[in-house]
Amino acid sequence: MGFLTVLKKMRQKEKEMRILLLGLDNAGKTTILKRFNGEPIDSISPTLGFNIKTLEHNGYTLNMWDVGGQKSLRSYWRNYFECTDGLVWVVDSADRMRMESCKEEMQVLLQEERLAGATLLVLCNKQDLPGALSSNEIKEVLM
Amino acid sequence: MSETQLDPLEKIPLPLTTPSVMSVVGKQLNPVQSNSAAAAAAAAASSSAAAVAPGSSSSNSSSSESNGANAAAGVAAGIGIGAGDAKRKEESNVTPEDVLHLTKITDDYLCSANANVFEIDFTRFKIRDLESGAVLFEIAKPPSEQFPDGLSVEDTMLAAAEDLSLDDTADPNAGRYVRYQFTPAFLNLKTVGATVEFTVGSQPVNNFRMIERHFFRDRLLKTFDFEFGYCIPHSKNTCEHIYEFPNLPPDLVAEMISSPFETRSDSFYFVENRLVMHNKADYAYDGGKPT
Repeated sequence: MGFLTVLKKMRQKEKEMRILLLGLDNAGKTTILKRFNGEPIDSISPTLGFNIKTLEHNGYTLNMWDVGGQKSLRSYWRNYFECTDGLVWVVDSADRMRMESCKEEMQVLLQEERLAGATLLVLCNKQDLPGALSSNEIKEVLM
Repeated sequence: MSETQLDPLEKIPLPLTTPSVMSVVGKQLNPVQSNSAAAAAAAAASSSAAAVAPGSSSSNSSSSESNGANAAAGVAAGIGIGAGDAKRKEESNVTPEDVLHLTKITDDYLCSANANVFEIDFTRFKIRDLESGAVLFEIAKPPSEQFPDGLSVEDTMLAAAEDLSLDDTADPNAGRYVRYQFTPAFLNLKTVGATVEFTVGSQPVNNFRMIERHFFRDRLLKTFDFEFGYCIPHSKNTCEHIYEFPNLPPDLVAEMISSPFETRSDSFYFVENRLVMHNKADYAYDGGKPT
């Protein structure tokens, strides 16, 4: 990486923030992305790639990346780590069956060097569903 | 939804629950300069007759040039002039830097239609007004219809555009060129979201980057420069670029309205710094007027 590239990245950093939404399939990543951005959420299909929202305002940019969570896609997540400022780990709170694999996948990400500088938010989605684990319970499982 | 902070990464609370994400944004977005990030005009729509240019959906603010910078005119001239048939091979030497320094719309396409070796296919364009939530324009390649006649998505868009009784959209270079007719109301929109959906073929795509240049005559209105980066083989991806409509001086708005199709755009798509697609569009803002 040349010095110029480094400089360019630093310069971009100042005015740009990149948020990455990850989690198992059906966790609600795309729904959250759309909800945040004021879009209808009545029909959401599985993401077979990525969804990006980029908000531009007065020369500042917020980029949100939602990458599909199906098992076959998880090995591609690493391609989206670079320059990530914030990681939102989305959990389906009612998916007790897969809470363990949810933990495993998250732990893998936490080892990732390229995400070391990023802030983590664990978002416990679907709290309204019957049988949903509370955020504290999920905290216990994930840690 | 609720949130939980975990240890291994930084402990700085990340306010990303629904209500507070907005405040984060708000903080980020303090008015710093009134970047006249001009006419995104060309990338949104009015409620009656609206359209979107191929790929007018994303941006990278840091390289958004809003004023008609005249830098590197030499480079621009070089491209513009050299773009004859002989040079429009797949082996295009056009770089992102080159097109970022263009000072006007190119006279010709800077790569051949065959340069799209990654089978990147645009399957949907959509424009919505963030204020009202209204979808102003949407056109999609029907999933069932894989263009049995060998039509490209652009051809289909043109057909649909005609259905919407947009103005003259016919052009021999149809697949790469779209003509759009807007009403003047389009130029009054406040915040607009432009979505593009695309699929990629069997090969992974690295460093996929879109650069779009919008001009009114020789005045640069807006540059979109967005790096998609990596695209998964056989993936379907979307990107919505949400931006505030720039405050254009009233006299410029009036001129744009009274000079149909003198607002034009070039969309350049690079994979690993090689130009793989080049689309063009032009725009009128005098739609809906009694003739």
